[in-house]
Amino acid sequence: MRTYELMFVVDPRVADEDVVTMTNDYKNMITTAGSQITSEENWGRRKLAFPIEKLNEGKYVLLYVSSETGTTALPAVEHRMRQNDKILRYLTVRTDEDLKRAARKHPVTPGTASQSGAGEERDADAGSDIESEEGEA
Amino acid sequence: MARARKVFFRRRKVCKFCADKIDYIDYKDVKLLQQFIPERSKILPRRISGTCARHQRPLQQAIKRARHLALIPFTTD
Repeated sequence: MRTYELMFVVDPRVADEDVVTMTNDYKNMITTAGSQITSEENWGRRKLAFPIEKLNEGKYVLLYVSSETGTTALPAVEHRMRQNDKILRYLTVRTDEDLKRAARKHPVTPGTASQSGAGEERDADAGSDIESEEGEA
Repeated sequence: MARARKVFFRRRKVCKFCADKIDYIDYKDVKLLQQFIPERSKILPRRISGTCARHQRPLQQAIKRARHLALIPFTTD
């Protein structure tokens, strides 16, 4: 299964309702192609770090997409976004591989508590080293 | 004299992501990324931040993604 995040920035002059209809459009494109929208975040109006097309704010929308087959409508959605000049920026990121790797590295197990204890011991040793160095000086 | 210099104590730098066990560096986490972009908005080098190579790479990627979406600046003027 592949998961993606699709984030885009809309011109702040576009009304909130129109942003919703736009996102619904894209969501329909994705779902009709056989993928699911797992969740959705609307960040609303947010200040841009730098002006884009002389605008200082943007409306941020974030879609989480998951696909069983691995084929999605995302290229088509991106194409549509490129043509829509109300969309200032968009970014699609495939997340399943990185998230899986992260989960493998630190699975939630009770064994991690003992590991952190060992780390503290090492810190204590380092502290005594410094003291001896100061003694030499 | 050289010996006297050696005594100067430098705090050992630790990779923040190893210490905090952050394995997935999210480009949306502006607060986290901001710690690695100083005044000039450049990406803080490893030799200064102490981030290990394994984490600097995804960090760099996350910062670049965040920049594209105007979440964090490219430069400050």
